[in-house]
Amino acid sequence: MYRYDAIDRAVLADRTAEFRDQVRRRLAGELTEDQFKPLRLMNGLYLQLHAYMLRVAVPYGSLSPLQMRALADIARRFDRGYGHFTTRTNIQFNWVKLADAPDILDALAAVDLHAIQTSGNCIRNVTADPYAGAAADELEDPRVWCEAIRQWSSLHPEFSFLPRKFKIAVTASPHDRTAAKVHDIGLLLRRGRDGETGFEVIVGGGMGRTPYVGPTIRAYLPSDRLFSYLEAVLRVYNRHGRRDNIYKARIKILVAALGAEAFAREVEAEWEKIGPEGDLPRAEIDRIGAAFTNPDFVADPASGDFEARRAAEPAFARFVRNNLKAHVRPGYGIVDISLKGIGETPGDISADQMDLVADLAERFGQGDIRSTHEQNLVLPHVRLEHVHEVWKALDAAGLATPNINLISDIIACPGLDYCALANARAICVAQDIARRFEAPERAEAIGEFKIKISGCINACGHHHVGHIGILGVDKKGEEFYQLTLGGSGAEDAAVGKMLGPALPIDRVTDAVEAIVDAYLRERREGERFLDTLRRTGDAPFKEAVYAEAH
Amino acid sequence: MKALTANRLSDGEVVFWKDGAWVERLSEAQIFSDEAGAGEAEASARTQRTVVIDPYLIDLVDSAGFWAPVSYRERIRALGPTNHELHGKQAEGGGAVEALRQAHGAARSSGRVNLIRRK
Repeated sequence: MYRYDAIDRAVLADRTAEFRDQVRRRLAGELTEDQFKPLRLMNGLYLQLHAYMLRVAVPYGSLSPLQMRALADIARRFDRGYGHFTTRTNIQFNWVKLADAPDILDALAAVDLHAIQTSGNCIRNVTADPYAGAAADELEDPRVWCEAIRQWSSLHPEFSFLPRKFKIAVTASPHDRTAAKVHDIGLLLRRGRDGETGFEVIVGGGMGRTPYVGPTIRAYLPSDRLFSYLEAVLRVYNRHGRRDNIYKARIKILVAALGAEAFAREVEAEWEKIGPEGDLPRAEIDRIGAAFTNPDFVADPASGDFEARRAAEPAFARFVRNNLKAHVRPGYGIVDISLKGIGETPGDISADQMDLVADLAERFGQGDIRSTHEQNLVLPHVRLEHVHEVWKALDAAGLATPNINLISDIIACPGLDYCALANARAICVAQDIARRFEAPERAEAIGEFKIKISGCINACGHHHVGHIGILGVDKKGEEFYQLTLGGSGAEDAAVGKMLGPALPIDRVTDAVEAIVDAYLRERREGERFLDTLRRTGDAPFKEAVYAEAH
Repeated sequence: MKALTANRLSDGEVVFWKDGAWVERLSEAQIFSDEAGAGEAEASARTQRTVVIDPYLIDLVDSAGFWAPVSYRERIRALGPTNHELHGKQAEGGGAVEALRQAHGAARSSGRVNLIRRK
């Protein structure tokens, strides 16, 4: 994992001191709210329905045990004993007091964390594959590039006031766990014909009120030319992106308006002008790479009684089936920690649970913790002989729900329970669906099934790319929900299509169950829900929902 | 009927206007029956820039003898998040909180109250 140097720490200390003075001036009446609001947002501090919310950046979803314990400490001292992991792999604290915010930033800075660029029209936290450095199907560790992008984009003078916010995802696996194709820029690491690595560059994906799967504007970009190319993309966007209409300001609108080919030509022309001088020297990439501590892997470790326990304990076997993924090294596994306990708030984690995850990462996980855009956590490097002990500890803390990628592993934004922008709640809808499908045998029989819920069209809950997407709308003061089918945030990315008229809140779970039942009736051997839907079209599902809804 | 609400600057707490000051419970808020009085209070509240942020008026309906916001969003503000019943003002319980939970306002869909109460 990358470690801050003295300059990084000095920058953070200065920034926090500056914000402390801004808070003082606001409380003293020397700054108006209009003057202060952009300043607090630049430090990740939002005002929500009930309190201030602080959004803390978790760079490319990587946390150390020290950092996780610091987050737990903040949750206890300044919040209500919990935090909430978001769909940008960040963590939010929902009950922050304004006067405490500078102290929280100091506590974050002490462990090399901050809240800079978690709001505003700038380059936000980079999304990385949460299995980076561990996945069996990975080309190379993408976090080195993510860290280089983090450094390049942090406080970038040219790109701090873009037309709108800007999100980048990087993955090095054929199986996309970052939703790269619905990011402003998706970078897919590829092996070139010359044997070197480079990126497929996707630009102009996004969700919100105008969802797009981004087109590829360059099939192969040599990796050593990445930063000049990023600069060219951002410069073209900064120059031509619309600033007159917030709803048309994202790069996806520009790419769609120009067309991918014309946009690509603009970028190539700009890239030509920038030239290799805009690239990071190889030595700098190597320096960043060296700052990541290599896990202390044991060659071919014994798996102990892993297989015997799996054979003897059905609950452990279920956890292994759903929450343990293949590691690149024999004798190791990737452990998914579900923050989707049945009936719990998706993404929420208590301070005690944070401490436990930190302990487990330290004892069994090479000190490495990841957060995922699906609001779960990952211990990427666990020896198989330790998985049972990890599972027991997680289970005792309510963190071992064996539902990764299953129907109760639901993404939900904070919705109207917290968010000032929301039209409807999302959390209670997720809780209700999870309870309906609580039985693990049933969830496993249904198989991979991704439900994603947003409380408004801004789509923080990624509903456009849910196998079932659920969008909360305000219909004459009531919460209603539009269902979409067929979305995907993976390598087969797609935007879901609306199924029919919006449903009242008390019909949503029934509708989901009707869709699931129709799928189980229609599916052929080996088909996921998405495969069946793509084969049959939405007619059987429409009939199931709206026949039962009347 | 109307009440005047805002978020407190120091901690973001939802507050309600009462005779020139701010209280945390809707049940203690000043209720306006006339537009002129409500507008006057709102104008006065807007001058309290170091106390609250963005004061605005909300419509109320009667619910079990208490005033409750018509808007669902405002009922959540007055109660707290429905996924954590020990967070926000709802943690105190009592008749006024229960009346807010039972309030229908513009709501028509069946089952809504149960969903709210479940969490």
